[in-house]
Amino acid sequence: MTPDRFTCEEAFRRLDDYVDRELSSAEAEQVRAHLETCAICAREFDFEERVLARLKSRLRRIEAPSDLFERVARSLRSR
Amino acid sequence: MRDPVAPPASFESLLSSVLNAAFAAALHMTRNRTDAEDLVQEAAFQAFKNFHQFEPGTRFKAWFLRILTNCFLSRQRKKKREGQTLDIDDAPELYLFSKSLALDPKVADPATLVVSKLETEHVTEAIASLPEEFRVVAALYFVEDLSYREIADMVDCPVGTVRSRLHRARRLLQKALWDVAEARGLVPSASAGKETP
Repeated sequence: MTPDRFTCEEAFRRLDDYVDRELSSAEAEQVRAHLETCAICAREFDFEERVLARLKSRLRRIEAPSDLFERVARSLRSR
Repeated sequence: MRDPVAPPASFESLLSSVLNAAFAAALHMTRNRTDAEDLVQEAAFQAFKNFHQFEPGTRFKAWFLRILTNCFLSRQRKKKREGQTLDIDDAPELYLFSKSLALDPKVADPATLVVSKLETEHVTEAIASLPEEFRVVAALYFVEDLSYREIADMVDCPVGTVRSRLHRARRLLQKALWDVAEARGLVPSASAGKETP
């Protein structure tokens, strides 16, 4: 049975949960069904997903100072 | 019997594997490198002291980030509560999307217009401008793939609160990213084009 489709408003309310994969599979399917038929919402969702992916990629390049591990390990050994 | 002074090799190896993510989260929470290093040191000490509570087979990174978050929140409770630097009402939904389309309505991938111009330091600067309650969940959210439930366990609040804080954090962050991009001249300033008297 095909689930009822969400309206734009119902889908938009679930944007964050959808991109973070926090929706139940049934709700995620309803959002996907809406996005397949609504180009405006699809573009907004796509934008949010891309922005988040790029921000995560930027922020995961941060490296701890090269000597931090040695300093922490030394401090633990000396306690 | 284990030497109570020397950290076990397995602890050091686990710590080493999570250090970059822990430092990144600490950097976003504390907003400066020196405090971030201190926070990681403190969390490492707490983690070592409580290593017997860590359950092998579970994610050491999530366990360590929880300790790091607790250390940060405990420090903050001792400090005077900081003032909010951004107003949620100033950050409407889809802020970056509408700003990007205003720059170029026909662009195929509007996400590239602004975000591709931002370096890691710009994003860090934008996160640093978030009020603490949003900054902490954003720090955890962006540096590691964690579920809302895992973040809720780390900050010790209900999942619904995490959901709401993350939602607001993202709205505020989009506004802050735009402001940083504008201030750095990466996008046209709102005042550009206005006539000077």
